Amino acid sequence: MYIIVIGGGNVGYGLALELQRLPDYEVTIVELSGSRASALRQELGEMVVHGDGSEIAFLEGVGARRADLLIAVTADDGANLVSAQVAKHWFKIPRTITRVNDPRNEPLFRRLGIDAIVSASGAVMAQIEATMPEHTLVPLMALESAGLRVVSMRVQSGSAAEGKALRDLTLPAGVLITIVISADGAKAPDGSTVLRQGDEIIAVIPREADEQLRAMVTGSHPGGGRP
Amino acid sequence: MRAIIMGCGRVGAGLATRLVAEGHEVTVLDTDAFAFRRLLADFAGRRLVGSGTEDRMLTEAGIESADLFVAVASGDNRNILASQKAKEIYGVQVVVTRVKDPLRAEMFAGLGLRTFSPTKVGIELAHDALFAAGGQ
Repeated sequence: MYIIVIGGGNVGYGLALELQRLPDYEVTIVELSGSRASALRQELGEMVVHGDGSEIAFLEGVGARRADLLIAVTADDGANLVSAQVAKHWFKIPRTITRVNDPRNEPLFRRLGIDAIVSASGAVMAQIEATMPEHTLVPLMALESAGLRVVSMRVQSGSAAEGKALRDLTLPAGVLITIVISADGAKAPDGSTVLRQGDEIIAVIPREADEQLRAMVTGSHPGGGRP
Repeated sequence: MRAIIMGCGRVGAGLATRLVAEGHEVTVLDTDAFAFRRLLADFAGRRLVGSGTEDRMLTEAGIESADLFVAVASGDNRNILASQKAKEIYGVQVVVTRVKDPLRAEMFAGLGLRTFSPTKVGIELAHDALFAAGGQ
């Protein structure tokens, strides 16, 4: 498996350290700054290349045509956006992972069909939500191409879902409750599965179902918005 | 028509001056206020200091009701980001993007941006000048 990482900053460097340890992975790190590239090369060796990861001719030179995965993690959203699109449309690289630095650019990245979008502020928000006892809907994974997310929720006391069997709940369209974890352990639910306070639900949901589901499962107030 | 020009370099300033003369309503954006020296003192358009890649600045420039958007800032990637935003998020009808790298210009033209590459045009002109009949 051949992976090209664009950007040798803290994120790219951290990735390189991890990926380097996996035996079947060949990795190239592309860094735009000459001095940063030399410094990285001292430590990581041949895998670091000095160049512009948004330039088609350069990417051709580092074998983008045979890459299985391109990861764009520079601090510049324009560069990440262009690298991801070049990877997808020019080189037909099967998978890309793209960092978005300014959260306001996220709708654009999504609209342009960029597969996996990683946002630092989004990741931190998920951690914060995970620590809050109520109103928790924690995103576990994004399936960008299908517009779906895998989320985890905990059934709150007094919520619309508490004490109800799944067949008696009117779930938002497209929501799939895939696992219910109760005190007895995890199981694949059916219509007769009753949700109890404290149960954890793993669900696949369309992005737009987020608020409605949050209100249903974790909201104890009418309307179910955030407190 | 309402036009937003991102980048007040020689091309941006020259185009802004021309569009104003043609009767268009023009807003010029540049991250560096010093760039506006290239506009005449009595320039009838609007000057805004800020980045055309930022939603806040685009909104202030009136992107929601703009008919034309031209990205001629110095970086190809910033021009592409701003242009795709103008087109895909704000629905601007005509978006023109300068992309110096000819291959990148070609690729994004294929994705629906009206790109032009001064590098490609420059090579053509220089080549033609070299072999022009009776050139001095």
